[in-house]
Amino acid sequence: MARAGGITNAVNVGIAVQADWENREFISHISLHVRRLFDFLVQFESTTKNKLAKLNEKLDTLERRLELLEVQVSNATSNPALFTAN
Amino acid sequence: MEVENGRTEKKTMTFDEASMERSKSFVTALQELKNLRPQLYSAADYCEKSYINSEQKQMVLDNLKDYAVRALVNAVDHLGTVAYKLSDVLEQQTLDISSMELKVTCLNQQLLTCQTYTDKEGLRQQQLLAIIPRHHKHYILPSASAAKTLSWHLASETKSTLKGSPHGIMSTVDSKTNGKRSGAFTLLDTADNTRKKSTPASSLAMQTLGVTRRESLESSKPLTQYRSFDNPTQMAIIRPPVRSKSMLSAFFAKQKTPKLKTNV
Repeated sequence: MARAGGITNAVNVGIAVQADWENREFISHISLHVRRLFDFLVQFESTTKNKLAKLNEKLDTLERRLELLEVQVSNATSNPALFTAN
Repeated sequence: MEVENGRTEKKTMTFDEASMERSKSFVTALQELKNLRPQLYSAADYCEKSYINSEQKQMVLDNLKDYAVRALVNAVDHLGTVAYKLSDVLEQQTLDISSMELKVTCLNQQLLTCQTYTDKEGLRQQQLLAIIPRHHKHYILPSASAAKTLSWHLASETKSTLKGSPHGIMSTVDSKTNGKRSGAFTLLDTADNTRKKSTPASSLAMQTLGVTRRESLESSKPLTQYRSFDNPTQMAIIRPPVRSKSMLSAFFAKQKTPKLKTNV
């Protein structure tokens, strides 16, 4: 009886260990995928920041060029006689 | 035109609407991703309490595993949607900025053209007018009306020699010799008529023909007198310069004006 109980306990322990190993494997899979998701998010953040920085630079350049054009056009419109053929 | 304007307006509206739609979808996806966080927190709390309180822990564990897998897949799906829509919005804005750059460049080019035009116009107005002779002095005739071909002059010279031109400077004594030269002197009349318009470059031609600028400009001796033969007493006999060569040689010869003047 004690011997049968011992065998049963060993089997239960074995089963428990196996289940534990399966659980750990499952957790490791989940954590691996979460880390990959995190890496994707970090890479996406850097790419998006780079694109936004380029957009910002382009917008700044455009703004300055438009200001320059505005000044030039205002100077030109202040002297319309320049464009009349004499 | 109105229909086309309407269509273009519709196109612009649809373009704006499309951009608005993109922005709206991105905001919606982002909102859904944000809503996932409280859902996952609430699901985790429920699983923890049920595992603690329930007797069938293995079943709770299995359910938890399934839920974790599906939650992870759902989160990845939402993150992918948000990333795609954000990339789409950024790309559209980049295209808009590129088109704006092109338009600004066009405006800049137009302004530069206007400035170049004004600069050139100003230079043209401020430049001193100077008539630069394009041809050698030999080939420049004294008057604008006399700017005819050399062959014409030669032909006129031959005609005058045949017919005897009534115009020009002539003397009764040297009528024969002057007949040959009348063609040359016909130029003098036209030159005198347009003497006001004659240029300094044409003075040499006039000198070769025997008429100096001084003589032509003298008001005391208007050359109109020399045209008529009715009043020979009013003028003295003016002998033309001695010419031993033809008109061609007169054109192509070097200046012999001092000698020619003395002969007059």
